[in-house]
Amino acid sequence: MAKQITNYKKDRFGVGQWILIFILFLVTVFFAAPVILVFIAAFTDEMYINQNGFSFLPKVWSMNGINSVLRYGQQLLQSYGITIFVTVAGTLLGLLIMSMYAYSMSRRDFRLTKFLSIFLLIPMLFNGGQLSGYIVFTSWYGLKDNLLLLILPLCVTTMNVIILRTYIANSIPYELMEAATIDGAGDYRTFFQITLPLMKPALAAVGFMLATAYWNDWQNALLYIDSASKQPLQLLLIKIQKSIEFLLNNNNVPATARAAMGGAIPQYSSTMATVVVVIGPIMVVYPFFQKYFVKGLTVGSVKG
Amino acid sequence: MKSFMDNIWKNRAHVVMALPAFLVLLFIMYVPMAGLVMAFKAFDYSKGIFGSPWNGIENFRFLLASKSTFYNITRNTVLYYLLFTAVGTLLNVTLAIAIDNMLLKRMAKTMQTLMIIPVFISYAAVQFIVFAFIDTRTGIINNTLGLNTRFYSQAGLWPWILLVTKIWKDTGYGSVLYMSVLAGIDTSLYEAADIDGANKWQKICHITIPSLIPMITVMLLLSVGNVMHSDTGLFYQVTRNSGILYPTTQVLDSYVLNQIKSGSNFGYTAAASFFQSVVGLLLMLVANFTVRKIAPDNALF
Repeated sequence: MAKQITNYKKDRFGVGQWILIFILFLVTVFFAAPVILVFIAAFTDEMYINQNGFSFLPKVWSMNGINSVLRYGQQLLQSYGITIFVTVAGTLLGLLIMSMYAYSMSRRDFRLTKFLSIFLLIPMLFNGGQLSGYIVFTSWYGLKDNLLLLILPLCVTTMNVIILRTYIANSIPYELMEAATIDGAGDYRTFFQITLPLMKPALAAVGFMLATAYWNDWQNALLYIDSASKQPLQLLLIKIQKSIEFLLNNNNVPATARAAMGGAIPQYSSTMATVVVVIGPIMVVYPFFQKYFVKGLTVGSVKG
Repeated sequence: MKSFMDNIWKNRAHVVMALPAFLVLLFIMYVPMAGLVMAFKAFDYSKGIFGSPWNGIENFRFLLASKSTFYNITRNTVLYYLLFTAVGTLLNVTLAIAIDNMLLKRMAKTMQTLMIIPVFISYAAVQFIVFAFIDTRTGIINNTLGLNTRFYSQAGLWPWILLVTKIWKDTGYGSVLYMSVLAGIDTSLYEAADIDGANKWQKICHITIPSLIPMITVMLLLSVGNVMHSDTGLFYQVTRNSGILYPTTQVLDSYVLNQIKSGSNFGYTAAASFFQSVVGLLLMLVANFTVRKIAPDNALF
């Protein structure tokens, strides 16, 4: 990123530049406004939205949305726990086994490297598709309603291994690893004490991408997770939407339930508050990782 | 052979290190490939994949017989791919050039940071955001324009809604790759153009855009391999999986997902899945072959 600053020294700050800034400002608003709306709506009064619709400048603010999210209490906490567990475990596992694979692939005197790279590439070209995956995982492996199905399918991806491998090949001197071996370090020690610590930038890039993939994964959860105690946040979001839909389409909701909801189905500010809870952590963490994944993306586009 | 085994033995630590990821790939990616034989079977969940009887190409005949559904889904898949790729590439490149031309670098950086955020929001959450804009009664669009459009029941509007959603979600992120190419352009080219008296537009048209062409070509070609795969969340979540909208929003991926969820017609779905995998493979091979001809460095294999 730093390199860009060098260009265009001669350009004057003229009218064209003001127009460009103005247009890009509007573009930024287009991208940021919906996200801001989520946060505003989460703190808008439910009845206000019900009567006047969503608004960037609501007249009645309220904490009720957030409070009603807290009322999911147990379930929300549980889902948060599941999502955090799956994200942390999956990211660490993925990083470890992918870097080991990438490291083995980068050994020059290893006769299996060719095989390893072909084995890695084929799934990118051809795969069994969702349906056979579903049948194989549930009926052959007998995994149903199992957290392994949230972790394993995402933890090794061809692109990420290629990024790691390219990083090892281009940014870590081979001689350094050879020197370690000559000094008497075993193969494992060379990897864990020399190579792995030097891979930090690549690990940060891949790790962040991996973590967001885990955090945002709803499809595997929708397919494989049945019990409420194991549903991650994204599945909780889907369930909330489904139950709102159900309530809206059913007139015979018990009167007591309706009364508890204050006459209206809490579908506006409270769902937005849930969305805030779900996307919040990524918003907080993302700026710290930005420079790494920009780099990772660039590395990934060059062949490994 | 002896020396080969010696080499493997000498590198046994590397074999061990490659093993975990190897096993994950084997069990998660490779074994399900065998499941594709389901396409040629009268599948019965209780008998399993190999226990179910063969029925030749019956599933495919059935698939083709239901012309409207299968034809519609495939058409949607391909058309959305074309629409998203054309508009997406154009906007990614334009945005990258625009940001790169900003003189206030810190401001440009901040804008870019904000533009990338949507890519990290899952579609399960995005659908609530879209709802806030297009709901009939409380949506911002209807309220601002004083309309009463029922977006969730008008299939004809959805290609546009999905396009805008897709642009919003992916453009900021998509431009990053092109920005890195722009950063690598030799500055002496611009200096030479300055000496020749070229203005900003001429520099963009004759230096910047030509420098991006190779990367654009490669990205387009590589995307060809994914024609049959769509952003499932966009079509499944944002549309709220509403049946009324299927004619314009159902794509192969969301169709297969729906069939799995409803647990019906597995043989028929397997045929659609098989079609998707095989066409995907062929397109990927063609794409890679072409990339290797024009830009060997960027070929996948």
